[in-house]
Amino acid sequence: MTDKLLSKVLVLDNSPEYADTIKHFCDENNLAGLKVQKNNLMSVLRSNIDLGAILYSENYGDTPEENAEIAMMIQSVRGELPLILRREKTATLDDLPEELRRVFCAAYVASDMPALRSVIDEYIFCLVYPNALVRGISEITGSVLTSQFKINPTMLTEAPYIVRDRIIFGEVFSLIPLESSWCRGYMMLQTEEQPILDFLELYRPSAEVADFRAANSFLGEVTNLIWGSFKNRYIGDAGSAGSKIQVPLIVNHKHKYISFGTDNPQLCFIYTLVDEASGRTVKLYQRFIFNLNWSPEDFKEITCDVDELVDSGELELF
Amino acid sequence: MAKILIVDDSSTVRDEVAGFLKNAGLDVATAVDGKDGLAKLKADPGIKLVVSDVNMPNMDGLTMVEKIRGEMGNSTVNIIMLTTESSPSMKERGKAAGIKGWIVKPFKGDAVLEAFKKLAG
Repeated sequence: MTDKLLSKVLVLDNSPEYADTIKHFCDENNLAGLKVQKNNLMSVLRSNIDLGAILYSENYGDTPEENAEIAMMIQSVRGELPLILRREKTATLDDLPEELRRVFCAAYVASDMPALRSVIDEYIFCLVYPNALVRGISEITGSVLTSQFKINPTMLTEAPYIVRDRIIFGEVFSLIPLESSWCRGYMMLQTEEQPILDFLELYRPSAEVADFRAANSFLGEVTNLIWGSFKNRYIGDAGSAGSKIQVPLIVNHKHKYISFGTDNPQLCFIYTLVDEASGRTVKLYQRFIFNLNWSPEDFKEITCDVDELVDSGELELF
Repeated sequence: MAKILIVDDSSTVRDEVAGFLKNAGLDVATAVDGKDGLAKLKADPGIKLVVSDVNMPNMDGLTMVEKIRGEMGNSTVNIIMLTTESSPSMKERGKAAGIKGWIVKPFKGDAVLEAFKKLAG
């Protein structure tokens, strides 16, 4: 797994003249660009719930009116995503009508792509995540997930990436606070219920008939184990001594939307458990949202003497 | 036969640990949190070993241990914590309350079965 963080962006730009420029920019700047035709736009917006931003061309619509209409529709359905406008002449929003101007977060021109880099840094890669933390989270989570089954399933881990999306994946998710001197926020695990039940049936055949409570319990215990390992590795006894500020979290079930009260990008991992024999899979989205404090300059990994280490599952007698 | 009380708010953990110990021929009871664990321990003198989580709703595991020692002063029950926590301060608190051991999850029964049998008398 690479330490480099990526982000997925929708490219709503049909200009053949600038296709290579935009593709090159994405490749150079850790962006996975997903080009979308107009007739597919709504279905792509619905099915891609882990986006970082949208690159939009002022010529995407056939007419200026259609272009404005599409932009406002995107703003309406996915307003949390930064919408960045490519213009033909000048990188400004000033000449747009007020109602259209507020739809976009920034403008750029293809002749000045470094300026777009600044916009991407401001809206997507604005939080620094230490490599040791990113790598450690992936290791911890992989270990926890495979430890849940007596016969280890195959586990696939995608490269970690940054999202601005607030859409919830699946039907069940867990949240647990992370509190330390260098971070305050949440870890969220999201998944689908039926694949978990199918996996439990496969790997824990002796258990009672699995219903949604079994899926809840599985996700709860996985969350607990990851949280415990995270604390042991990165927090230790140095909890958050200062601020006890909280902000409301908003969950909108109708729109499968969760807000942590901040526009901060979120650190996202995707893990897929695969049973090779049956082809059954479970996909878990893991997100870290440091909405209350993020001070990576104070981040440190807890190290201890080898003599002090006790393997998990071993009994340390007193 | 001496009984082991498993105290954990996770039904996954309760089922896993209890199932493992039953398969090993041990008598097992379960409780869903510290409050429930304390009540079940008081009600059943046959319990000789408590295996408890730390982080639980209603009453956490270390508070439960302190209450066992405080409210059941002559209790000879052995207590082991089975938890994701491994912070020295928590272990010290547990030691001060008289726990016998600490296991960091996930539970690997084979590694500790003999010790469990011994502590359960």
